[in-house]
Amino acid sequence: MFVVLRDLLRYNGEFLAGILMTGVVVAMALLSFVSPYPPLDQFVAPMDVPPSAAHWFGTTSRGQDLFWLLTYSIRNTLAFGLLVAILSRILSLSIGLLAGYRGGWVDRVLMSINDTFIVIPLFPILVLFYFVMRDNMSWVMLAVLTALLGWSYDARLIRSVALSLRHREFTQTAVFSGMRTHEILSREHLPFVLPIVFSTSLNNMNWSIGLEVTLAVLGFTDINRPSVGGMIYWANQHSAVVAGVWWWIAFPVGLVVMLFIGLYLLAISMNEYIDPRSRLERGGGRKE
Amino acid sequence: MRAYARYAFGRFLQFLLVVFIGINIAYIITHATPIDPVEHTVSVATAFGHTAPEAIESMRQSLRELYGLTGSPIEQYLNFWRRVLVADFGPSLSAFPSPVSTLIGRAIPWTVGLLGVATILTWIIGNLLGGLAGYYRRSRLLKGFGIVAMALHPMPYYIAAIILLIVFGYLWPILPISGGSQMNVARGWSSEYILSVARHSMLPLLSLLLVGLGGWFVGMRSLVSNVVTEDYVVYAELAGVSKRRILTAYVMRNAIAPQVTGLAISLGHVFSGALITERVFGYPGIGSLLVDGVHAGDYSLVLGVTTVSIVGVSLAVLVIDLIYPLIDPRVTVS
Amino acid sequence: MSAAMRNPAAKPETADGPVVAVRDLRAWYRLRLFGVDREVKAVDGITFEVRKDEIYGLAGESSSGKSTLVKTIAGAMRPPLEIVGGEIQFSFMDGTMGLNRAPADLVERVRWRHLSYVMQGSMSVLNPVRRIGTSFFDFAFRHMGLDKAGFEAAVVAHLARVNLPASVLKAYPHELSGGMRQRVTIALATICRPQFIIADEPTTALDVVVQKDVLAMFRSIQREMASSVLFVTHDMGVHAHLTDRLGIMYAGRLVEEARTPDVFARPRHPYTRHLIHSLPRIGDDRPRSGLEGTPPSLANPPSGCRFHPRCAFATERCRVEVPPMEQVAPDHRVACFEKDRVEATP
Ligand SMILES: Nc1ncnc2c1ncn2[C@@H]1O[C@H](COP(=O)(O)OP(=O)(O)O)[C@@H](O)[C@H]1O
Ligand SMILES: [Mg+2]
Repeated sequence: MFVVLRDLLRYNGEFLAGILMTGVVVAMALLSFVSPYPPLDQFVAPMDVPPSAAHWFGTTSRGQDLFWLLTYSIRNTLAFGLLVAILSRILSLSIGLLAGYRGGWVDRVLMSINDTFIVIPLFPILVLFYFVMRDNMSWVMLAVLTALLGWSYDARLIRSVALSLRHREFTQTAVFSGMRTHEILSREHLPFVLPIVFSTSLNNMNWSIGLEVTLAVLGFTDINRPSVGGMIYWANQHSAVVAGVWWWIAFPVGLVVMLFIGLYLLAISMNEYIDPRSRLERGGGRKE
Repeated sequence: MRAYARYAFGRFLQFLLVVFIGINIAYIITHATPIDPVEHTVSVATAFGHTAPEAIESMRQSLRELYGLTGSPIEQYLNFWRRVLVADFGPSLSAFPSPVSTLIGRAIPWTVGLLGVATILTWIIGNLLGGLAGYYRRSRLLKGFGIVAMALHPMPYYIAAIILLIVFGYLWPILPISGGSQMNVARGWSSEYILSVARHSMLPLLSLLLVGLGGWFVGMRSLVSNVVTEDYVVYAELAGVSKRRILTAYVMRNAIAPQVTGLAISLGHVFSGALITERVFGYPGIGSLLVDGVHAGDYSLVLGVTTVSIVGVSLAVLVIDLIYPLIDPRVTVS
Repeated sequence: MSAAMRNPAAKPETADGPVVAVRDLRAWYRLRLFGVDREVKAVDGITFEVRKDEIYGLAGESSSGKSTLVKTIAGAMRPPLEIVGGEIQFSFMDGTMGLNRAPADLVERVRWRHLSYVMQGSMSVLNPVRRIGTSFFDFAFRHMGLDKAGFEAAVVAHLARVNLPASVLKAYPHELSGGMRQRVTIALATICRPQFIIADEPTTALDVVVQKDVLAMFRSIQREMASSVLFVTHDMGVHAHLTDRLGIMYAGRLVEEARTPDVFARPRHPYTRHLIHSLPRIGDDRPRSGLEGTPPSLANPPSGCRFHPRCAFATERCRVEVPPMEQVAPDHRVACFEKDRVEATP
């Protein structure tokens, strides 16, 4: 594991860049624990101050220090992404492994359902959910719903790996030694799909955070809980761009873009590690 | 031909399944609410103070039905389906007494136009460039494009749209940033109107393009770099088949099939993105309609847009599925 | 490398010189994966030639480097495979580096016209989304100098030669059986009547009856066109029926080479003997002698003679010194220090 990490860092520029970018964002989130301002306080700082030594990222029209507010926001946003990733992993793993291992009609039924969830457009459904729940909606509920609707893409990938494991010898051995399905899946197959689970989690986080930011910007989440999208929402409410308070939008957008690119780079370099074929091509190059 | 019929029938069943599950999700969500949606909606509506009393009563009635709050549970469920199937979502609250279906019908051409053009352009450009980048691995230009595309790709549509909005709205205002066409130009097949529509769709189109390109580019690049190692490509190269023909008829032609499937898979996501983009640029499609509906507390409208979206996207996927055998002749066999 | 530089002068085509002469060829897979270097020495110092109008067979167990050798000769190398040293000289083109360093336009002129290649696993060499007829057009039309109608007639006639109906031209590869696809690939490789045909396990995936057909067809095409064939298969039975001369490979090296009847009648290398003795024979029910041990790893091959860990005749010398290929009879070469002792043993 350590060796893998070292090699990735040394030979894969994308991985290094991804680690650095994600690292900055995570460090930012951790800083929230030493913030001098409570997250929900307003008018604790002068309003509309541009970035300066006293307020690194400036202040908002609601009298908040942007830097420290951003630390809370990114923490909440990351927490949302993580929760969705964990919950949807449970679904995509169990469904993907089961479909791949059992094959036959189980596979067909599960994949039909899977394809259904891939096709259904999520955004209107989440908006409908917000519409119905209104102020009763918490970020945990949103995360659960997002996870319930967002497992399908990765389940398909996991299934295809599981499908290839199905006919391997160790599976047959396990079957003959009387192991039950869930034992075979968790003990024998899980280790093989873990790398792909890891890289898909990163993509899944990107996706769910993107959704959350979008919903929050439109005001379709709990707008009082600090989040990156929520900050942009309030900035829009105060017409920040028109009023020249550009930093109110620029820093949240910049930080979250950094997170997206960082996670994406990590995911693709992980993929490259899992499938060394692409690595070979980079190293060797094709004969022209 | 019989093989195709069997394949098409299977895809049609899948389409029905998507609609069935999607509509059921909408049903469950609307029935999971802890607050009384009807009274809530009515109170939001009356808060504006310009709704006629008889309108409120009719609204309450149709809302009760829509929410499926009349009759036994089975009746409620069946009623919900009946309304969905005949696309009758009752009158809109925010634009009373216009029926919701009229509002949606008016908005759909905008969305379909924007989304259709954006999706097709993105798919073609992304796959073409990605395919070239996978084949000509040494090209600096394509490598550079790859880096830009990879940086743009993971961005949510909203962020891309708002960046374009700031750039073209405030820093360099050369394109209209809001609306579907110029207000003072009459609708019709006049060149002025068409030009105005085209100009207004530039920014939404551009933001959909910027975000969408990367996915196709990266996907096609890696597909192509796998396909070039396939025996049939290696063999054609050995036989001295011309480079151009290998690139088009051997490499691209084989790599494109999974990308067509990918188009079907990503359609839901792209659709969601288009809704958001519409909202940012005040484009008069169903995305704007949806968000306005939420702000106006217009339940019928929100539910209408949601169900129409589910059916519309799955229909588009069905169409792609049905033409897929043209791309890959093997699919109807197994 | 230095060997390659020694003789850059072009060699004129002689009337009955070999079609291809390979000298001390080394081709390795060089893998560099996340800092771990690995070299698979799949072809490691091979010298042989294929003469005009003969079928030269290449035998050896799976993973002994047969495909790597013919890939290198056919100029079908892809990373991580690299030529590390040696020469490849064709009668129909200048230079000593074969196709691998030749300018692209020359390669284009040579391929299919002079040299064609039936790849291993040729079940998958046909473009799955292209009809067979179009593939023929892609591969051969340029070389034939015919108009479209004439070309189609030529293709149909050639297909008849491999017992295929003209209707396959309209089919997709997945619509054909394995045997038909195999015939299509062979027809594709022979339609331009090249001087030199390389065929890598072209019949291995076929069932016995079809295999016999295809081999007979191969032989008749070769006779008719007087071309040279480099024919690879691990199946000694096929070699016995088809090839004129036979080279035996073990772990990336040639260990013995002779006229095919001589290989079977008087094998001098212990490994060749093993291959022949393990052939089933009618009316002979003695137990077959198995080979002890496992095939060597080509990433880390045994020192000296690579066969020594599995060899009953091995001595101390075999463990440290590499036995050179030595002529023991006309057209018969062996790489074994104990070849006389081997021959004397019944
Ligand atoms: N692409 C490759 N990368 C690394 N090693 C390879 C590759 N292809 C073949 N090899 C190795 O080279 C050796 C010779 O393989 P091959 O030439 O295919 O043998 P044969 O045709 O006699 O079965 C084997 O050990 C095989 O594992
Ligand atoms: Mg082989």
